[in-house]
Amino acid sequence: MIDPNVMPGKLAAFLSEHEGQRATITAYEPMSGGYSRLMAKASVSWADGRSEHLVLRGDPPPGRAMMETDRATEWALLSALGRAESISMPQARYFDATGDELGTKCIVLDFVEGRSLQSHINECEPGEYGRHTFDLVDTMAKVHSIDPDDVGNAIARPNDWSTYLSGLIDRFRQADRAHAESNPFLRYVAEWLDANKPAPLPLRVVHSDFQPANIMVTADGSHQVIDWELTHIGDPREDIGYYAVYSAASGPSLIMNDPVAFLARYREKTGFGEDTVNLATLGFFSSLAAISVYAQILAGAAAMSNGHNSGIMTTYTLNALTVGHANFMGGCVAPTI
Amino acid sequence: MLSKPTTPQIILDCRRELLETIDPVVSDPTVKIAIQMLENVLRNCAERSAHEIAWMREESDSMVAFARDVKSTVGSSPEIDVAIASYEKGDNVTLHLDAVSDSYSRAGECLSVALERAFATGHTELHLRGREILALRLAHEDAIKGDWAFVGRG
Repeated sequence: MIDPNVMPGKLAAFLSEHEGQRATITAYEPMSGGYSRLMAKASVSWADGRSEHLVLRGDPPPGRAMMETDRATEWALLSALGRAESISMPQARYFDATGDELGTKCIVLDFVEGRSLQSHINECEPGEYGRHTFDLVDTMAKVHSIDPDDVGNAIARPNDWSTYLSGLIDRFRQADRAHAESNPFLRYVAEWLDANKPAPLPLRVVHSDFQPANIMVTADGSHQVIDWELTHIGDPREDIGYYAVYSAASGPSLIMNDPVAFLARYREKTGFGEDTVNLATLGFFSSLAAISVYAQILAGAAAMSNGHNSGIMTTYTLNALTVGHANFMGGCVAPTI
Repeated sequence: MLSKPTTPQIILDCRRELLETIDPVVSDPTVKIAIQMLENVLRNCAERSAHEIAWMREESDSMVAFARDVKSTVGSSPEIDVAIASYEKGDNVTLHLDAVSDSYSRAGECLSVALERAFATGHTELHLRGREILALRLAHEDAIKGDWAFVGRG
């Protein structure tokens, strides 16, 4: 999917077949920045005179992915969110479900003209974060305001919060069992989280990789949310905790500067109360929320250890596991004697 | 065998070659990012190769001692008995890396079940001691990690 010598021809045939008119690929280049999937940008001219840019998002070759997720599930989710017009996001246009046409299972989406929020805040002085912070919170609140019915059966719907949260906590133990060696951090954190569950919130759409590199800022300053491959129905505070963890490792952090103001804005935009969204729940979900991504990275490490995976992305992201351990422990407050 | 230059020295020299010779002539942005990642992994490997056997042994001793202390302080559990027996049955002497790594994993299981027992019994002192062992493990991981952030994102 990243070979610019082969792909223009394959993509032109694929698009022509799906649109019923001839497509010509005028430019094709791999995109950097995506960690889990291959990405490329294509410029397309249609027989009817239109031209546009599209993004291809496909699976790496077998044994080269740092995490395994399902393109069919992602396609179903993106399609459902798009139909419901639930939130601003690039429209998912086409899907090669088998990889027969584009060389790998691949989703083709609209290209967003603009830059990521991460690139905007990278250019800011710390005193200039304010507007971006509120914009980030507002976009997070919009994700959490999506009606879970909008996604239909695209992703699993847990029965209730309590069962869901216990299951999420148990994923620490499952990750430990599935790994190539014992990992006491996981078992400790699972015990701590079980003993310190917060008050419940309604189950909502959780992006699961909510961070500024996955928010595109358009020319008018509005946000489009991308990269929904880990999205699930869960506790919305997972995204707050995940963002806190992520931004601590890959800043600048728009939350840790003033977490009280961040959470106040989030409560204002979602209508959630201070009994459920506060510094204590931030700590709890900072420990809990990273498990989805963490478990995927750990599975990649296990696959490499067992000789089933390779690639710089797997070895490079081993460090993210250490970041995860630090954040797990940071959120699990020690008891006092 | 040749022990000098040491493994970390060799790895760090490969890293220098990567940064000074290869990186400047590369223009493809995706390869540039791969080089930044390789640079980081080579630093990780240099630090890890310098200490990993000593660190795993040091931690293993602490983890197994802790499990035995939990057993004697609050009473054992079937899981603790199994974990300690498994540890003792294995090879905890050989210094070849695979053997040390396997021994370390068995010791890690001893710590895990001991921490679960400490939680179940609500024994705060044992809980805090267990956290100290995790803190040592994290300190070693942090030393290997060094400076790190997601490269190429944004």
